[in-house]
Amino acid sequence: MKTKIFLILIVVCSSIYSQRIDFNLPQNIKLFADFLFCEKDYLRAIEEYGKYLEVIDNDTVKFKIALSYSLMNDQLNALQEFSSANNSSTFYEQSSIEILKSLYLLKYDSTFYVFGNDLINSKSQFSTNAQKLLNTSIFLTEKGLPDKNIFFKPFESEEKLFLEKFYDQKLNPPYKSETAAGIFSAIIPGSGKIYTEDYGDGITAFILSGLLTYLAYTNFEHNHPTRAWIFTALGAGFYAGNVYGSIASAQIFNAKVNFDFENGIRLFLEDKDYFSPTYDFCK
Amino acid sequence: MTSVNKTIVFFLLLAVMNLHPQTSLQQQFDSAIELYNQEKYFDAITEFKRLQFFDKENLYSFQLNLFIGKSYKAGSKFDEAIKYFTLAEMNAATEEDYFNSKILSARTNILRRTTKQSERILNELNDDSRFVSRITVIKYWQGWNYIFSDEWDKAYEIFSENILDTTLANLCKSVDEELYSVELAKYSSYLIPGSGQFYTGEYISGVLSFGWNILFGYLTISAFIEDRMFDGIIVGNFLWLRFYSGSIQNAEKFAVQKNLEISNKALKYLQFQFRGEKP
Repeated sequence: MKTKIFLILIVVCSSIYSQRIDFNLPQNIKLFADFLFCEKDYLRAIEEYGKYLEVIDNDTVKFKIALSYSLMNDQLNALQEFSSANNSSTFYEQSSIEILKSLYLLKYDSTFYVFGNDLINSKSQFSTNAQKLLNTSIFLTEKGLPDKNIFFKPFESEEKLFLEKFYDQKLNPPYKSETAAGIFSAIIPGSGKIYTEDYGDGITAFILSGLLTYLAYTNFEHNHPTRAWIFTALGAGFYAGNVYGSIASAQIFNAKVNFDFENGIRLFLEDKDYFSPTYDFCK
Repeated sequence: MTSVNKTIVFFLLLAVMNLHPQTSLQQQFDSAIELYNQEKYFDAITEFKRLQFFDKENLYSFQLNLFIGKSYKAGSKFDEAIKYFTLAEMNAATEEDYFNSKILSARTNILRRTTKQSERILNELNDDSRFVSRITVIKYWQGWNYIFSDEWDKAYEIFSENILDTTLANLCKSVDEELYSVELAKYSSYLIPGSGQFYTGEYISGVLSFGWNILFGYLTISAFIEDRMFDGIIVGNFLWLRFYSGSIQNAEKFAVQKNLEISNKALKYLQFQFRGEKP
């Protein structure tokens, strides 16, 4: 009898022990998926979370799948996954602000504004975040800006301080007129470039055009037609090139103004992670 | 049951208890290896990482990191591969393991074109007295490193001096002989503008370059002869010098470009037709 009990004990103990590392147990799959998520191996984390969800329904896991897509910048799948969260989900409100972020990054402008306004009016805990994202995004559209007091209402003082210069720049962009640059250079070679703040090129163009004109004139005067025509051709080329270059310089200046402006806003949004909440899944 | 029997059974129980988790880890390792052998690298990495997560006693540390690195390397994820080869190196229990992970790291660096990094790794192994018997392996990869650094002459020296691989030695020699001398192209253009272009086979460019230099050279000199110094300086500076220096730069650019084409052709051959061991 004792021997039988002992043998049964062996079998039980060994089977318990062998189950200690069952890789396919849902809790083990989830543990591994969490590890992958925190290792930023999101693609594999999604796969493992998917396996877990086949057995156990879990809001956090669903949210982490959506978040993984978002962190991989696969916003289309992120949007689908975040949208599947219903009212009863623990992460419903977080999903809503993440949907807004995905809509913004996907450039679904009309849906973005409709959804954003709905989120603001819903009085969710992330209404202010939505308002901030909506307001900042206006900088990158052709839309007119609202009044300063209304615009900056949701922002913290530090954010407000940073965005104020963009607000002023959006109202009065420091563009240079292409026509004016061309006319200036046609009258005084190089002055168009100086107007577009391309000082080095402007001074060089002024000196070279003057020099070549003088050389052409003096060679004609002293009856050296070959050199005179070469200098005339060079001078004319420089002159025409300078007028054209001044117009191009104004275009480049304006493009740079736009680029710096848009880049500044994009970097600000990236830095703020599009006003998404921070999560402590990997503490 | 006698006390002796009981003791045997007790030890058996202990052995079974200890063996079981190890068996499941081994099974997991085997299945990951199977995926790796089937070239299913993404799934192989997942299973190796799963094992890594559950291998609390770090029984498989070295092998896991090595195989994860190899899988990433096979998938051309060189940055990740190097990270795992470094981890393998840190977990190496034997000199052989350490050497293998170092070599894999160097090979990945060669493919990543971070050849300075692979040179450093290979030089370290070369200077390590523990690996004197493995010197041919080290030299072989040093040769490859020179190939990827575009130093075909040095690669030829290594492959031929150590009689490592005659095919590679011959290829490196032929590429080295075929390469244009950038210096010759450049400095010949200093003497006769356009000659560097002729040397690299760009005849039209060479003729044009020569013609422009003759024309503006003549105009410059004639201006000086006619005592129109200012004209001479301006034509010489803005026209002759511009075409003269342009011709030199152009010849240098052609030589570099042609050399790149020759190197790429050789690398393409190595990638698709060479049957020996490659990085």
